[in-house]
Amino acid sequence: MQINRLSQGGRIDRSKPLGFRFNGKRYQGFAGDTLASALLANGVLLVSRSFKLHRPRGIVAAGSDEPNAIVQVGSGASTIPNLRATEVELYDGLKARSTKGWPGLRFDIAALNDRFSPLLGAGFYYKTFMRPKAFWKHYERFIRASAGFGAAPQRTDPDRYEHCNAHCDVLVAGAGPAGLMAALVAARSGARVIVADEQNEFGGALLSASATIDGQPAPDWVATVVAELSGYEDVTVLPRSTVFGYHDHNFLTLAERCTDHIGERVQGVRQRLWRVRAKQVVLAQGAFERPLVFCNNDRPGVMTASAVSTYIRRYAVCPGKRAVVFTNNDSAYETALDLRASGATVIVIDSRSGGAGALGAAVRKEGITVLAAHVVTDVTGRRKVAGVRVAQWSGDVTARVENTIRIDCDLLAVSGGWSPAVHLHSHSGGKNVWEESLHCFVPGETAQACVSAGSGNGKWALDACLRDGRDAGAAVASRCGFEAAEVPLPSASDTAVNEMQPLWRVPAVKDPDRCPKQFVDYQNDTSVADIRLAVREGYRNVEHVKRYTALGFGTDQGKLGNINGMAILAECLDEDIKDVGTTTFRPAYTPVTFGVGAGENVGELLDPVRKTAIHEWHEQHGAPFEVVGQWHRPWYFPRGDEDLHAAVARECLATRNSVGIMDASTLGKIDAQGPDVVEFLERIYTHNVGKMKVGRCAYGIMLGEDGMVMDDGVMARLAENRFYLTTTTGGAAPVLAWLETWLQTEWPELEVYLTSLTETYSTIAVAGPNSRRVLQNAGCSIDLERESFPFMSVRSANLAGIPVQLFRVSFSGELAFEVNIDSRYAEQMWRLLMQAGQEFDITPYGTETMHVLRAEKGFVIVGQDTDGSVTPVDLGMNWMLSKDKDYLGKRSLARKDCLREDRKQLVGLLSEDGKTVLPEGTQLVDDTGAPIPVPMCGHVTSSYFSACLGHPIALALVAGGRARRDETTFAAMQDGTRVPVRIVSSVFYDAKGERQNV
Amino acid sequence: MSDARTRVEVLAEIGHINLRGDPGRGAFREIAERVLGQPLPITPNTVSEGGHRVCWLGPDEWSVVTAAGDAGVLLEQLQTALAGEHAAVNDLSGGLAVVRISGADSRRLFARGCTLDFHPDKFVPGSCAQAGLAKASVLFIHTGGRDVFDLVVRRSFLDYMVRWLRHAGAELDIEFH
Amino acid sequence: MLLIKCPWCGERAETEFSYGGEAGITRPRDPDALSDAEWADYLFNRTNPRGAHEELWNHAHGCRRWFGAERDTVSYVIARTYKLGS
Repeated sequence: MQINRLSQGGRIDRSKPLGFRFNGKRYQGFAGDTLASALLANGVLLVSRSFKLHRPRGIVAAGSDEPNAIVQVGSGASTIPNLRATEVELYDGLKARSTKGWPGLRFDIAALNDRFSPLLGAGFYYKTFMRPKAFWKHYERFIRASAGFGAAPQRTDPDRYEHCNAHCDVLVAGAGPAGLMAALVAARSGARVIVADEQNEFGGALLSASATIDGQPAPDWVATVVAELSGYEDVTVLPRSTVFGYHDHNFLTLAERCTDHIGERVQGVRQRLWRVRAKQVVLAQGAFERPLVFCNNDRPGVMTASAVSTYIRRYAVCPGKRAVVFTNNDSAYETALDLRASGATVIVIDSRSGGAGALGAAVRKEGITVLAAHVVTDVTGRRKVAGVRVAQWSGDVTARVENTIRIDCDLLAVSGGWSPAVHLHSHSGGKNVWEESLHCFVPGETAQACVSAGSGNGKWALDACLRDGRDAGAAVASRCGFEAAEVPLPSASDTAVNEMQPLWRVPAVKDPDRCPKQFVDYQNDTSVADIRLAVREGYRNVEHVKRYTALGFGTDQGKLGNINGMAILAECLDEDIKDVGTTTFRPAYTPVTFGVGAGENVGELLDPVRKTAIHEWHEQHGAPFEVVGQWHRPWYFPRGDEDLHAAVARECLATRNSVGIMDASTLGKIDAQGPDVVEFLERIYTHNVGKMKVGRCAYGIMLGEDGMVMDDGVMARLAENRFYLTTTTGGAAPVLAWLETWLQTEWPELEVYLTSLTETYSTIAVAGPNSRRVLQNAGCSIDLERESFPFMSVRSANLAGIPVQLFRVSFSGELAFEVNIDSRYAEQMWRLLMQAGQEFDITPYGTETMHVLRAEKGFVIVGQDTDGSVTPVDLGMNWMLSKDKDYLGKRSLARKDCLREDRKQLVGLLSEDGKTVLPEGTQLVDDTGAPIPVPMCGHVTSSYFSACLGHPIALALVAGGRARRDETTFAAMQDGTRVPVRIVSSVFYDAKGERQNV
Repeated sequence: MSDARTRVEVLAEIGHINLRGDPGRGAFREIAERVLGQPLPITPNTVSEGGHRVCWLGPDEWSVVTAAGDAGVLLEQLQTALAGEHAAVNDLSGGLAVVRISGADSRRLFARGCTLDFHPDKFVPGSCAQAGLAKASVLFIHTGGRDVFDLVVRRSFLDYMVRWLRHAGAELDIEFH
Repeated sequence: MLLIKCPWCGERAETEFSYGGEAGITRPRDPDALSDAEWADYLFNRTNPRGAHEELWNHAHGCRRWFGAERDTVSYVIARTYKLGS
């Protein structure tokens, strides 16, 4: 039964009833309702339990400032926790539940916290759970279980989210009277405009206003403006879109809720993240009404006055029959009129001795009683308001008051004045300043290109908001270089200036530390007593008090409570509010979902998959892929039901005994040419580049300026002034960037051009004693014998009529060739070579076999056997270091720390049992009996079972390792055992290097 | 008038010659323009259309987009003619793919994954720009036709790029070829 | 996300750039002539000012040029960007 639904009025569609469930119970509302308005229509007052004390709570507000009605909407993988019921649009079949209260809302076990609340003051957690330290593990479970709000979904979100970049001249945040005027002026001036509002309809406060604009009802004026805006090609109109962050350089983020109002699991994009770069921004987010602070002011049925008016006028719901309006300013008198028009009885309690002016007269004319110079000190009723206690008050905050009247009521509408929503201004880096005449913080000096307008700028009357919006629109349009359009100011019926008397906390009949709780921040259960306690305990800075009392945290980020809290803090400190200041508001303005943050960057689009030109062949031949950077490289090529180990053993033996073939296309390749290329490369690489003859290759390493190995690879001198450099797979982009950096910033005088060829050429390695014969079979145009094409040289050739660059280099220690070929013909070449190798049972192999073969030879992989703290000396590569020239990092090698003899050095390891394959990363210890923390002497960097040798091998970095040849140390296994290992040479196979040089 | 539907297709047989040199030094510019038969675009992020499509990539770097069959000859002509200059000419045809995107929704599609401003007044015919699209670096070229754009993509990213375009375009009116 | 004006390509989003740290760090001409402390000073020590900072940026996803920028480390306002050597 929608017992509180009015028979007429509102912006709901009574012909479209919608069924929904709240905490398992069925209700009905109408199209146009929010979950909050529908619950209120059904007379549901108790919607949650408070965060710490588990006190019963009801709906307080009607917008994003709602602190209590935090709900979990939907179910299963698409559920969203912690939504404000006031922002959830109703749809048929909606399921929602409270996020607090166990086992049920009406009987909440943790509500016992409230009974013991004197023990649960500010800092309770800090004080109680820190000692004894050992008990934390017990406390933690309990605290975690009772903390937080809703539950995160446990399964993968099935919905689509997307990101969208946008640019505009003017972004208008908020489409109330000021925002609409600003957008209208900017649009008519010819600017590209984006106007966004968090609500489903544009209009803001106008949607529930009694005022008229240009003689028509305010919502009609809104419709006219929206229609005009929508007609411009360069104006983007975004309802249901919250500007939730204002970042550097006028970059703003908006969350658009595309389908959440229709239902769950709806086709299409659910939410969209707009990343907007705006030349100018108009902040027109409006203002929040402040509650008043008195005893038990959190009882369900206590609402802000403007929220009551919104429910009546926009949703045709009157949340009570016997209402009390308690205010310190004029605006709540409108609510009194709305309540009376809805058939409720109303009494106005006004803290001011003079009451309201013109509005006061209108209220009295309706026969409504106004008690001026009175305050509500306390609320009776527990699960809902039953009545209020009222005292006479002189205006002196420190005076003790006496309750003189008790009024029975079921609704208490309160208004403590208005606070501009300065959040985005704060995000942007702008300061907020205390405006004494308005008793609120208003946006101060701007830090970015933006203007605040309307009630968000401290303009309360409608005509002032319209004018402020128009002026803001004209200002930003002209700053963007447009001639601002002359837009006549519409005439508004509401021109009243809202008069208010500051009343930050209502004096209690008892000591404020002993009276029933006077809540400042509903969501965090922060009371006046908590702030007073924080000050007594020595907290003086507003940011510290915030963290100690939790004032201003949570999903509402202090939208309702902050200003009252600051003022009470100022009172306690005996300072001015302007000196106490506010805490800093940071993004997000309201919570956003993880889904909209991730956008399409999930699943297969999380990281690009880079494929070589031969990828399809590998796929067809059943290779599992190893991810190296973004590349997917074939890992091994199983035959039949072979596992990794069986396949790798077979691939290794085939390569050592006959011939193997591997796709090495992911190596970085750089063309370097120019008159100064030798000089340039001398400075980059550690070896003597100038001594290389044309047609020859060399292994090169480059160091960072800190002397640590950065990358390595083979380089070939193709011509006097032209080199072909290769890098590691992961080094392709960073090395090119590194080289360009030196050329552009440090040595611009060197004439060298670099061009990346990584994608242009594919690389096919053919390795093994039969590799030469495979190439010959494939119809190689050049003599491949040792005399004319020696090890470490390069030749241009044709293979089967296709031009290639042939490199006689080896990463396996076998006779080997690397075929560099235009990527368009790479797969064709691969097939040709497979064909040519058939008689030798040519065996494709993947990255795992490549790793084993090179480890058998003691060849390092930069990034696996090195980690950014390893010098070439540590690797035993002193022979690579030229003494005749300077090169990057050389000086660092002479630093004291680099000369230590106990640096970790590359060695080989053999398990003494001859069978344990050490896990990579295993730590090495010398003293197995040492107490914890056990000193480590090194760690394993590479480890495999070598099928060729018939036993496991490992490479390791061991402190002073080279001098410890044949000593035994111990590998600390995960299960706690210690495996004895012998330190040996890092070259396990063909130590003299004869096999590659045939 | 362009088709209402937006088309995405991978173009075959496109050649790409990468050209590096300092247009302010020696005879580089004159020789390059003579061999190409058209001006080198010196204004950043612009395209020179002629026998080839020459895109500005940097103050000393251009991409000459041409028919794949012409790339080899052009490479040789440029290398020979520029032998006396400090210049670098490379045929990158093997490493690049071109995705042509045409139609009314093209710009909206790009906005999903690129921070450039594709407004018709900003990204005009004759513009080109290197930028990130989703998680790949690409070269956008406005071909001059109404809403016809070429995306030059590194070949290893092509599969990812098409996948991303399909995903990002799911809400738009797009057909893939 | 910052909006950075590449001296060649114009204003682009920060995600297109990579940061190069403090500008004006010159590699010593003769590193061997430096003490360990002097070399470490070149290698590791930076001014890290509060306020105006001369720094290097690279238009990594665009023209790949390095350029200079004067950026305020408090407000993040970029007063100017310029081509190196100009």
